[in-house]
Amino acid sequence: MSILEQLRAGVITTSAEAMQALAVELALVLPDDTTLALHGDLGVGKTTFVQGLARGLGITEPVTSPTFTLYTLHRGPRHLLAHLDAYRLTDAAQLDALMLDDFLISPYCLAIEWPENIAARLPSNALHLDLGITADGRHPIRLR
Amino acid sequence: MILALESSCDETAVAAFDPRHGVAGEWIHSQMALHERHGGVVPDLATREHLRHFGPLIERARTEVEFGLVAEVAVTHGPGLAACLAIGVAAGKSLGLALHVPVTGVNHLRAHAWSPFIGVHAEAPGQFEGRLDTLLPHLGLIVSGGNTLLFILDAGRRITTLAGTRDDAAGEALDKGAKLLGLGYPGGPLIEQLALNGRADAFDFPRGIGRRDELDFSFSGLKTSLRYLLEKMPMEQIQARLADLCASYQQAVVDALARKAGLALERGEGGFRSLGLSGGVANNRVLRMSLDRLAREQGVAFLPAAPRHTGDNAGMIAFSAWADRDNPAKEQGMGLRINPGLTLA
Repeated sequence: MSILEQLRAGVITTSAEAMQALAVELALVLPDDTTLALHGDLGVGKTTFVQGLARGLGITEPVTSPTFTLYTLHRGPRHLLAHLDAYRLTDAAQLDALMLDDFLISPYCLAIEWPENIAARLPSNALHLDLGITADGRHPIRLR
Repeated sequence: MILALESSCDETAVAAFDPRHGVAGEWIHSQMALHERHGGVVPDLATREHLRHFGPLIERARTEVEFGLVAEVAVTHGPGLAACLAIGVAAGKSLGLALHVPVTGVNHLRAHAWSPFIGVHAEAPGQFEGRLDTLLPHLGLIVSGGNTLLFILDAGRRITTLAGTRDDAAGEALDKGAKLLGLGYPGGPLIEQLALNGRADAFDFPRGIGRRDELDFSFSGLKTSLRYLLEKMPMEQIQARLADLCASYQQAVVDALARKAGLALERGEGGFRSLGLSGGVANNRVLRMSLDRLAREQGVAFLPAAPRHTGDNAGMIAFSAWADRDNPAKEQGMGLRINPGLTLA
């Protein structure tokens, strides 16, 4: 099964490493200029997943939560990884103040945490991933 | 004299610094009350507020200091919210053109790094260079809503990053913890206030230290453990033990910061002569006391930034434009661009 098929069927990861390994695999097959919407509550592992994406794109610098400045940009050997945290955004129009379009240079991968906050501005071909956490600490991941 | 502008997030600030005398004036408009109503900084609102307040703040500065003495304009060009930075850089260039003086871009993080030395300078401006030499090499800890950084300021005044966070910043861990606890914004100060009446050893949270021999911070496990704990507690119990929860959670953050700073000092093998603390979370009293104790144990001078220079402020921008004038990555001139993702070094 391809990674996309696996994710559509749903995968349950039991460690941060396993989640990142999954993200690495996904990063390798993503078309250029993909927007990846990462749905899930506080603590489900969204930033951990983006760290895996970064590794898959060959980015070596540390990827941390961008909550404060709302997004960070990481330059890989070929791709730009933009990591947007829409946690504090309440309206899609607020995106304009981030001037993100001015910094998104193709080929890029745009990973968005709390995408539901800016649902109106997500491209129609965005990939939506649901991340969760079970009572015993396992992380289910599924591609919509 | 250096005239500085700061607008990286939700404070619009102007300051003047004269190397011979110190900070000559600081004018600030905080948007905190506005963003408090929204539960956090709203970028487009913040941008409009900067546009509204820079003019009046600069006019006020002009009535209080002699603009004819301004030899340089300094402005924060990153890191921060893009459009907020753009307003500041545009205002800075306009000032530079109007006053016929050069415009320098200042790295907000480097300004935090230098901010503990504003007080050292103020005590004896004429002797600053000599006194600075007695305090280097310096280990600095910047703790804010967006950053948790350990760095070295060496005897040659070069800044090297030693460690950062792998996931969340310390201030973010406090803010997100507050959110999980159902408290408001800004979460850090609310947790600190409630913690005053709680026991720091009531709950055992992970210290986020990762491997003992590593300097990097990690706070996402702490946040997750609070989440697990709260899921198991009935609402009445959470309310009844809110002070204990806040005190224990805050202590876990403070301990992680102090342990890593201690480890870095020990690794320096007596080479460090001072320990600095700056950034918005540096106002936390438990953290201040903890690092003060650490510095005393290690026999180094403790230099916490003054409270008004911990959050976003233009005083530190003006000061670092002068103190950090040899920053190898310094950008100047009318071509100055914003860089929302600028790093310390």
